[in-house]
Amino acid sequence: MLARCPSCRNTFSTDRPGRQDCPVCGKPLVVPEPPVASPAAGIDDLALEPSGTPWERRAELGFFTAWMQTLQQALLEPAKLFASARRDKGAAQLGFAVLNTSVFWALGQILERPLLIGQRDQLRRVLEGMSGNPDVAPMVERLLKAQLLASSPSWVVALALLTPVFTFVLLYVNAAVTHGIAAILGQAKRGFPATFAACAYACAPLVLLAVPACGSIVGLIWLVALTGIGMKVTHRISAAGAAASVLAPYFVLCCLMFAAIGTLTLALRRAVGQP
Amino acid sequence: MIVRAGRPSVHALALAGVAVLLLAAAAALPLDIPPLALLACPFRAATGLPCPGCGATRAFHFAVRGRFGDALAFSPLATAIAAVLGLHAVWTALRLAGLPFAPRLEDTPRARWLAAIAIVANWIFVSTQGRV
Repeated sequence: MLARCPSCRNTFSTDRPGRQDCPVCGKPLVVPEPPVASPAAGIDDLALEPSGTPWERRAELGFFTAWMQTLQQALLEPAKLFASARRDKGAAQLGFAVLNTSVFWALGQILERPLLIGQRDQLRRVLEGMSGNPDVAPMVERLLKAQLLASSPSWVVALALLTPVFTFVLLYVNAAVTHGIAAILGQAKRGFPATFAACAYACAPLVLLAVPACGSIVGLIWLVALTGIGMKVTHRISAAGAAASVLAPYFVLCCLMFAAIGTLTLALRRAVGQP
Repeated sequence: MIVRAGRPSVHALALAGVAVLLLAAAAALPLDIPPLALLACPFRAATGLPCPGCGATRAFHFAVRGRFGDALAFSPLATAIAAVLGLHAVWTALRLAGLPFAPRLEDTPRARWLAAIAIVANWIFVSTQGRV
């Protein structure tokens, strides 16, 4: 084994621990016992991973029970859920997020169609009234066309069927951006799988997407909070580090999400004659 | 750094899938009709300055069409990200075919500073060049 003399700082080789003299300077020193190799050492620290969330143990718990327990823990005991998430169960976590989000997103789209029909007609009337203004006419025309297209039954069904694809892309974009910011801030202590677990289980509140009108807003705010808790627990970092990692990308994502609203607001301001 | 590696992980495969979908969307969706025509940056509308992500949509749009000069003029960082996405998709396909190597990013303070400087430099470039 190799040892270092605390007096002359030279490194030397020895075949036994304990009290002995330095072969370079001759001063007495104590060589410590070498650490005992554990059976798991050198394999992977995945051996030290927790037992798994209810969803990751759905084979033993049953599909519906596992989903319900995961949802319940995510909403009411998130720290417990994130602490039990395994980093080697990425496929299961992806499945939970895509299933949970796309089912309730699709349900929300279908429910919103009959429930918010009055509001949509009112918006259409406002837009049609604005279409006489030559400054905004092309934009309003495009909005009207897009709105008519999006509210047709075939598009509602098509969008509902495409939600798993949208969810899959958005989940990975969200996880990649969150992980990138966390890495820049030095907070990505346990790799991308830990960030992905946090982002995937943070999709649990998106069951609220099924609630027309306000459900999506509440669900998204809850998702941001849960992602922060998830990053803190899965990466074992401070609350401030987790908050910084999560909120910085949402600043950019907010820009994207509200982009259409910003455009519409500008168009409306122009239409009523404000600069 | 290139290291020896086995078959790609679930996340590597999924990220390659996302990369293909994003690049395909950038290639298929035109800029002048919805949904891309409806995109406008509220940060820019409020402040007159572009946000760090401004120009990324157009950079992707031009990068997938091979117009790298136009893409770089809108957002050098987004152009680089588009190139990295394409490279990741191709490399993952090669790994599935048996290539036993994979790139490995080192999480060092120097790499973190370089990434942060790249984001800020891109923001300054986008703000001063005025193409967005």
